[in-house]
Amino acid sequence: MELLMKMPDLATTDSAIKLIRWLVEPGQAVKRGQPLVEIETDKATSEVESIATGVLKQVRALPDDMVFAGQVIAVFEVAGASPGSTQAASQTSIPSPSAKPSAVTPAPLPSQSGGLFARNRAAAVQQAIVKTPAAALSPTQRTVGRRMQASKQTIPHFYLQASANAERMILRRKAAAPKKLVWDAMFVCAVGNALKKFERICWRFEEDELVASETDAVGVAVDVQGDLYVVAIAAPRSKTAEQISDEIRAGVERLEAGDPEARAIRPANLTITNLGAANVESFAAIINPPETAILAIGKIAPAAVVQEGQVVIQNRVSLTLSVDHRIVNGKYAADFLSAIVREVEVF
Amino acid sequence: MIDSIAEIAADRLAGYERDFLCSLYERMALIREFEERVKFLFLEGAMPGTIHQCQGQEATAVGVCAALNADDWITSTFRGHGHALSKGLTPQELLDELFGARTGCCKGKGGSMHVGNMEKGMVPGIAIVAGGIPLAAGMALAFKMQKSSQVVACFFGDGAVAEGAFHEGVNMAALWRLPAIFVCENNLYGASTHISKVMKNTRVSDRAASYGFRGETVDGNDVLAVYEATRRAADECRFGNGPVLLELLTYRRTGHSRRDPCSYQAKDERERWFSRDPLDRFAAVLRQRGDVAQADLDQLKARIETQINEAVEKAQRAPLPQGADLLTDIFAGAGKEERKR
Repeated sequence: MELLMKMPDLATTDSAIKLIRWLVEPGQAVKRGQPLVEIETDKATSEVESIATGVLKQVRALPDDMVFAGQVIAVFEVAGASPGSTQAASQTSIPSPSAKPSAVTPAPLPSQSGGLFARNRAAAVQQAIVKTPAAALSPTQRTVGRRMQASKQTIPHFYLQASANAERMILRRKAAAPKKLVWDAMFVCAVGNALKKFERICWRFEEDELVASETDAVGVAVDVQGDLYVVAIAAPRSKTAEQISDEIRAGVERLEAGDPEARAIRPANLTITNLGAANVESFAAIINPPETAILAIGKIAPAAVVQEGQVVIQNRVSLTLSVDHRIVNGKYAADFLSAIVREVEVF
Repeated sequence: MIDSIAEIAADRLAGYERDFLCSLYERMALIREFEERVKFLFLEGAMPGTIHQCQGQEATAVGVCAALNADDWITSTFRGHGHALSKGLTPQELLDELFGARTGCCKGKGGSMHVGNMEKGMVPGIAIVAGGIPLAAGMALAFKMQKSSQVVACFFGDGAVAEGAFHEGVNMAALWRLPAIFVCENNLYGASTHISKVMKNTRVSDRAASYGFRGETVDGNDVLAVYEATRRAADECRFGNGPVLLELLTYRRTGHSRRDPCSYQAKDERERWFSRDPLDRFAAVLRQRGDVAQADLDQLKARIETQINEAVEKAQRAPLPQGADLLTDIFAGAGKEERKR
């Protein structure tokens, strides 16, 4: 019968374990306790012993592969019921740790590393200790939640707010008819141009030093059926507003179609997020790591402005820049925000 | 250090009953099998957390505890599985504890590093290095004040000797002539650090003289030598001539913890110590005696294997603590009265 061996929980952290080399070749006989594979953790290299006596049938990970604890690394062909191996073998044939125990069949065993906790959860469900209703997070929402939490907990944010005259943008959008420009495309252009003279915004904070980013992209946050994604526009300064607009539209379509490649996290130098269409006047956003800043764009709306001693009606937009204080200080960020305002106003 | 370890002379066994000698071997074999099963449970992913194991050190735990009375006490460390099995805890209550079950010896609240059972004279393991030494002095002070004939054997490793708590506990015990046996399991390594890197005089038993009491270095891989030395020490303590420091020379066959590959132990050093394995050596002299055959030992081993297999099966299905268990065992309750039940 077949017996699966999973990578034991040998890392002191939850980090991946590197497979160095197999000490037994597939097809060779192996004994329980015999060194089977050499691995490397954060701390040290070590030999992992075989859990089975039998023949190593197949390896599921190769040298240099990064493997997590609990991942199947080897398949053995074992005979009969030798002590120990029976128990491990029976684990592989049990469908799921949450299967309900009956009066005749014993409760299933925990299926893998962290089994104790899986077992606690299963027990909690069975005994209905947990009574509060719970909703599962989508995988994307889990990732976004984790990243945002890490961002808020580790990045010292500060916020600068300004507003810009949006009249030129409105004119530019009309001029582009019949194919309407996506508003965000124009903001991507403005931010891309402003970044030219503020390269420190493109640096990244890594272990107490600043590292220059290798990407040249501005991200656009988009909400697709309740999930948050970023469409990254590469080299925005080399593109027209029309090209960028098409790119954003295409990106959103791919996300809606569930294209996994479009859903992957792609680094940008700065992300823009726009809730203007949702009638928000202004808001402050959470930085999308490892970026230095995020620009939150509010609703474009007519406002009374004093111009040369006269009150005039003018369409304006609120811009709020959230900035990582480890990378830039207030004055630098303020100059950067002013540059964005200028770019918006000369559009 | 290994050079001072000679073969066990078979004639030393002459004065002992066969059953007693077999029980020493059986207890060591039980510890070895227990630890090996736990190792594989970890490798199979069935047991979470890290574990500190004592393969190779079975003779120290068994020899010391065999020389104690049932109402004597021990204190232990994070490497306490062997001490517990030697003091009469069952493999079932230990495995249940390792699996976090409420049927465990500490109701699933202690885990591998804190096994113990107050009813059986073992304070749950004290995982702070040297932390048990002042505590044992306090227990011994209680025995003395109560005019009881009990003694406490306090297990610690060589890594504890250079800790401040060692000095504080041992000094007071010496001053008040307390009935404490300080048992240093000198396995040469404090985690991954060799003893020669942390002390100039690596003969731990020498420390006793500076405090004004008796110290002795013993072959810790000879269960009978450990037993005899502990008997002598316990007698001295009961007659008001304590404390005693026993340095038991031994060797750990596994890493400090399950995640420690043990690469700091030199290959030739390992081989030399492995050739002095406490089980193999004792089995050899038992066979020489004539009334114990290899078949008897094999049978014994098979019996232990079955016992452990059954205990593992049961432990994996043992009930887990409930929310309400959070509110129990918060305040001390296991006093003298409770122990005398």
